[in-house]
Amino acid sequence: MELNRRQLLTAAAALVVDQWAAARGIESAAPVGRKMIVVTCGGIRREDTFADSGIENIPHLYKDLLPQSVLFENLRNEGVTSHYNTISSILTGNWQRLDDWGKTSPASVTIFEQLRRQMRVKRDQVWLISSNKALTAKIASSSVAEFGPEYGANVVFPKQLLIKAVVQAAQKGEAVHSTDRATVAPEIEAILNGDNYDGLGWNVGGDPSTLDKIALGTIEDAITDLVKTNAPVTGDEFTYLVTVEVMKRFAPALMVVTFSDMEVAHFGSYSLHLGGISTVDRLVYELWNTVQGMPGYKDQTTMMVMPEFGRDLDGSTTNGFFNHRQGSESTRGTWMMCLGDAIRKPGLIEEPVLQTQIHPTIGKLFGIKTDASGKPLPGLWL
Amino acid sequence: MSMMDGMGTNELAEFRKAVARLPLTMRPSVNGQLAEWATLFGYERGRVREFLSGVTAMTPAELEALTEPLRKLEGKMGLDRAEFHQNADSMENASLLARNEFYGEWREQVRRVYAAIEARARQGKAAETVKPRVVLAVLPASLPYDAEKVWKRWKEPGIALRIDGDVTEIATRVVSAVSGSKAAASDGSDLWLIDTETKLGGAKAGDAAAMALSWTELDGLRAHVLERVNTVPRSIEMTDQILATIRAEDMSALEPAGLKESPQLRRFLIDLYLSGNGALIFSNAFVQWAASEALRRARPRVLVARFGMRQKPKPFTGIAIFENQERISKLPAVDDPKGSAVDAEMLARYVYLSARRYPEGEATAYVVVAESAGSALLLLPEAMKKEWAGKTTATPGELAEWLGRVAQG
Repeated sequence: MELNRRQLLTAAAALVVDQWAAARGIESAAPVGRKMIVVTCGGIRREDTFADSGIENIPHLYKDLLPQSVLFENLRNEGVTSHYNTISSILTGNWQRLDDWGKTSPASVTIFEQLRRQMRVKRDQVWLISSNKALTAKIASSSVAEFGPEYGANVVFPKQLLIKAVVQAAQKGEAVHSTDRATVAPEIEAILNGDNYDGLGWNVGGDPSTLDKIALGTIEDAITDLVKTNAPVTGDEFTYLVTVEVMKRFAPALMVVTFSDMEVAHFGSYSLHLGGISTVDRLVYELWNTVQGMPGYKDQTTMMVMPEFGRDLDGSTTNGFFNHRQGSESTRGTWMMCLGDAIRKPGLIEEPVLQTQIHPTIGKLFGIKTDASGKPLPGLWL
Repeated sequence: MSMMDGMGTNELAEFRKAVARLPLTMRPSVNGQLAEWATLFGYERGRVREFLSGVTAMTPAELEALTEPLRKLEGKMGLDRAEFHQNADSMENASLLARNEFYGEWREQVRRVYAAIEARARQGKAAETVKPRVVLAVLPASLPYDAEKVWKRWKEPGIALRIDGDVTEIATRVVSAVSGSKAAASDGSDLWLIDTETKLGGAKAGDAAAMALSWTELDGLRAHVLERVNTVPRSIEMTDQILATIRAEDMSALEPAGLKESPQLRRFLIDLYLSGNGALIFSNAFVQWAASEALRRARPRVLVARFGMRQKPKPFTGIAIFENQERISKLPAVDDPKGSAVDAEMLARYVYLSARRYPEGEATAYVVVAESAGSALLLLPEAMKKEWAGKTTATPGELAEWLGRVAQG
């Protein structure tokens, strides 16, 4: 990515986060205690990553991060292999069987709620930042009566901000031309000023959610300049930059980041799917380096990186890599890399572990009790 | 409904009775096929008839014993209490099933019951001999392949031939060789020509002798369907309703010449567009998914799939990819030869794997031609291998003529 373009994206990301904070009069949080970052990255087959045929797609994970990590070689998704259900299952420690489109909240208590209630931390200490269109803000908290939105996380969908701007312009029949910034800007303004913009999922609830003119103008400039470039703009890039801005301003104790560029596989381009994997490889590496450069994070952060599931087998009736619903080993079997504070001895763990064990692992790391049925993951210093 | 193509009122009534004897979750698919009888291909009609004859041949006690585990499972899954649509498959049905904890067990039970009923239908009948078939995949000259490495990613053992002559002639020669033959299926579903462009000998959509689909000829229709699909909200219930509306819409003004005269092909195309898998987004995905579905639904004697070039995602469309790129951005389209080559090679292999999935695959000569590498890979049944044993080169004429002969049986 060219420096100029990234600077513009960074400015847009910073303004989005600033606006959120300004609306509440919140100052930057002081860094406190251990931290956890969970990164999920769509559906990726083992053969396209940690296998002889896939290592070329993940040079940073393989060469730079693997030597300092614990790699769980056999992480299993035994639930519904859709995005909303899988991430809900990871967050709750119980396999969720919900509407795939995120119409209902998870049926079991999320780690966000446990953390906020037991440790009495503010909402700005728990975040979910997601590229994935399949999620909704309902994932921030459960439908369990004693918990719920009062203890939920902040949820941000940065990619949706951009998509909605573009799509709404298109629906009105106005093409987005490289020089036609007047077309895009009103759409962005409308979205940012909207009362019920669920793409941000911040539940402003009566607070004015308008951006000041200077902030709005800068975002417009950033996005208009993005349109001018010929290089592909990825949603994950913007999600990454918003994540870094949130880290800088709030230093959250728990962040869940979901990337999804590789989900272009649903439309049948294997090369773009592999490109999405490479983007995530780079962004995860950059995120880890960013962690090392932040005093509030360095030496006290554990980062988990995992695909949500694999993808279907070549030759399956579900059309192979396009989808992730076959229920085969190729779909359910995946891996997870753990880095940082919870690692005392890098290595490989071959024994099968479940995604539902992540919730009690995070709980133990923060010293809180959880209702999850599974045990914490082995091989980590919690 | 008085008389549907090839099915009388009495036969339909008997079919409906047979469907009613099936467990709840097996009814929507068959009911959907009966409702769309006029748009089914010859092979599909035969398959439905055979299956229902197997149901009819079973006594109530036999069928009850066979289906009891499935019925009990449906009860355990709560499907008898849920609003499970029986008239046709739906997104809502699929969602209910897929997120149920017994989904895997359910799939296995349905597979078992289907297999037993089909076995019953075939009882006492002589096994039919599968006639030889041809599937030709073309990776056009615009896609860069290295002659030394082009077939390395193919896991299947095949015969690699260097093509001595104008390799771009192979596809049109094969089409010429097979077009003259009398199609076994009167609806034209024995010969499929699926192309990203219009380079397969000028066959048009709806050509009586062939099922021909061209990505470029379908530009207007595809753009319209894509626009309509993009109105689908985040609600499974609403999705079913909107998809039904799209299916029923009169889009004849946007259909290329001939398509509207072929109800089977029109229905096939709309089903294809609405079943995802990139058929509305990328030309190579369209070709692969159309080929795979044609092999599944029509079991043709000859299928030619010609892949092509994909453009690089434009700025912004990389993040809003389920959109019409031309409409979103007026920046000039830029080809992506390298990425397209990766996509097309993978998807050509998927066409092969689709062909292998069915009994007909055992008698299918599968040939993939990489024009830029001047090379062809032959994946053949044992009986056909001897024809090419020890050969390393062929002229376009030799290969096309041989494929023509295979197709003639």
